[in-house]
Amino acid sequence: MSAKRSSINRPPTPDVDRDRENQEPTLQEIINIKMIESGEKERLKELLRERLIECGWRDEMKSLCRKKGRNNVTVDDLVHVITPKGRASVPDPVKAELLQRIRSFLASTAT
Amino acid sequence: MSSKINHHHQNDKTNGQIFPQPCPHLADFHARNGTKPFRAIQDCLHIKPPGGRAAIRRDSSEVPRCGVCGDSSCPRLYACMACAAVSCHVPPHSSHVAIHATKTSSACSHEIAVDVDRAELFCCACRDQVYDRDFDAAVVLAHTTSIIQSSKPENLRKRRRIDYRPWSPDLRERSLMVNNASPIDSMSSSNGDLPRGLRGLNNLGNTCFMNSVLQALFHTPPLRNYFLSDRHNRYYCQSKNGVRLCLACDLDTMFSAIFCGDRMPYSPAKFLYSWWRHASNLASYEQQDAHEFFISMLDGIHEKVEKDQHKPRSQGNGDCCIAHRVFSGILRSDVMCMACGFTSTTFDPCVDFSLDLEPNQGSSMKTSSTKSNHSCNCEADGMNSSQNCGISTLMGCLDRFTRPERLGSDQKFFCQQCQVRQESLKQMSIRKLPLVSCFHIKRFEHSSVRKMSRKVDRYLQFPLSLDMAPYLSSSILRSRFGNRFFPFDGDESNTLNEPSSEFELFAVVTHTGKLDAGHYVTYLRLSNKWYKCDDAWITEVNENTVRAAQGYMMFYVQKMLYYKASEKQGTS
Repeated sequence: MSAKRSSINRPPTPDVDRDRENQEPTLQEIINIKMIESGEKERLKELLRERLIECGWRDEMKSLCRKKGRNNVTVDDLVHVITPKGRASVPDPVKAELLQRIRSFLASTAT
Repeated sequence: MSSKINHHHQNDKTNGQIFPQPCPHLADFHARNGTKPFRAIQDCLHIKPPGGRAAIRRDSSEVPRCGVCGDSSCPRLYACMACAAVSCHVPPHSSHVAIHATKTSSACSHEIAVDVDRAELFCCACRDQVYDRDFDAAVVLAHTTSIIQSSKPENLRKRRRIDYRPWSPDLRERSLMVNNASPIDSMSSSNGDLPRGLRGLNNLGNTCFMNSVLQALFHTPPLRNYFLSDRHNRYYCQSKNGVRLCLACDLDTMFSAIFCGDRMPYSPAKFLYSWWRHASNLASYEQQDAHEFFISMLDGIHEKVEKDQHKPRSQGNGDCCIAHRVFSGILRSDVMCMACGFTSTTFDPCVDFSLDLEPNQGSSMKTSSTKSNHSCNCEADGMNSSQNCGISTLMGCLDRFTRPERLGSDQKFFCQQCQVRQESLKQMSIRKLPLVSCFHIKRFEHSSVRKMSRKVDRYLQFPLSLDMAPYLSSSILRSRFGNRFFPFDGDESNTLNEPSSEFELFAVVTHTGKLDAGHYVTYLRLSNKWYKCDDAWITEVNENTVRAAQGYMMFYVQKMLYYKASEKQGTS
């Protein structure tokens, strides 16, 4: 436990076997990083959480999970089962709102 | 390896919750790292305002990445408890965190990791979420160090219990009883199958608001039992010396009249007069609001009793008078600063729950084409209150009541930590349930801005059985903190004493008509039959009639008290 530090972005011990590809970060990665750095990702996550709870999506997913039962189930199993249904059942207005927010974010940080 | 996503329904009447066995790797981690290996993580946790979710602390500009592949966008990143290396877990493609676990040596175990965004434990070897009491304790401690614990309400600290002593009459008492009492008519009398205590109430001039509430109260099990067992005797009551009035005595008179077996409609004139003297501002022959009358009446009973017997003011423990003993609960109100997460908590007693009707029918769950598998099936799935096909339900209203609410920018709350007024989030929950829960639906809207009042006629679906568990403070707090096992808010000490959270409906007060010209009717549930009490007319009705009625006040009693009372004809 004494090795634990509060910052988790400590660079890893260089591993001789693996060679990290030195590529340019993709556009997706850049956007992701910008969103995290500005705190926008966190805000969007909270917004999404709120909307999905409001419309009952979370409760629906919960009941789907419960159907799987409690025994001999791992988190991965549940994620695997839930993900396609979850993605499909997000209401359109929620998607639209999130997209709009992302668009305005991109517009505001365009360089 | 089994895991629980949300241990919820286990009724642990015994201390604490059911604990899953740790996986061998977690047990090993414990063995290597002492009794409280997770306590140090408290310093690494950051509680995110406003909701209070826990995550691993990091600078806002830090972007966590997998140490192996550099990916920062995958949804689950884990930090090793031993060396803080971050790895991703993307089944079934790759799991760098599982590879990391293989670094385990005799000196150091790299098998246990923590989710950086959710602060939940993961066993990399088992590839599954694990739970640990010590870890959860650290999370809760991280939460609560910034919260100044408001002192618990006095009444919940210690509960005086009186030992139960059985009683049987001696000869003198027996002869007293025999000489001064007469046996209750058997059910084979000409009154037919009507249960005891059903008697119409004459309308004395727009008094249906009073009649409807009285009918519900006559059949409120704890209240009925109290008066019928002579706990308030109108002949011996001290308060009625001369002109002083006692609403409880008048109530006692009415209980005797209602349950005596006479089926002719009764005129509650004396009670009306007494109530007018108590609530003189409402004394008129105009139509009044039934809920207002209900509150006023409880207040009247409380006031008169309290003055005379010098009992302490009600703090929700109900020790002061029968009205509070039956109806009083405690509400918990949390106000969370959206800037720093500091939470201020207060406890207030309440005698009922006033709920808003949802503003738009099914505004959120539209029947959109993508949801082909979500048929508009309105069978309430017990807990699943959000099957919102456009019909408002009582549980939906309760969800709204306990939902975190953003206080507007004009209602900024002074945060003790920030020392300035900040925007905040407020959340209500129920700390202690009353014996009888009265739900009042706010159907009458008075807008002082627009200088008009209107009635909301929208139908509200209400269940016959209601489980209030999700609205309790313990549940609300649990969902705020995430998947934890740590007991909250003194839960452990009280689980043995807490009554159950299951309630049964026994009375519904309905309103038909317009705001200023309407009519109140009460439906009573006795021995699983429904009776419509429309002033002086009482008729048996079908359950569906009740379900379709426009509920204004719904009375639910704790299930324990309901079953005992309603089993047999003779006792109902």
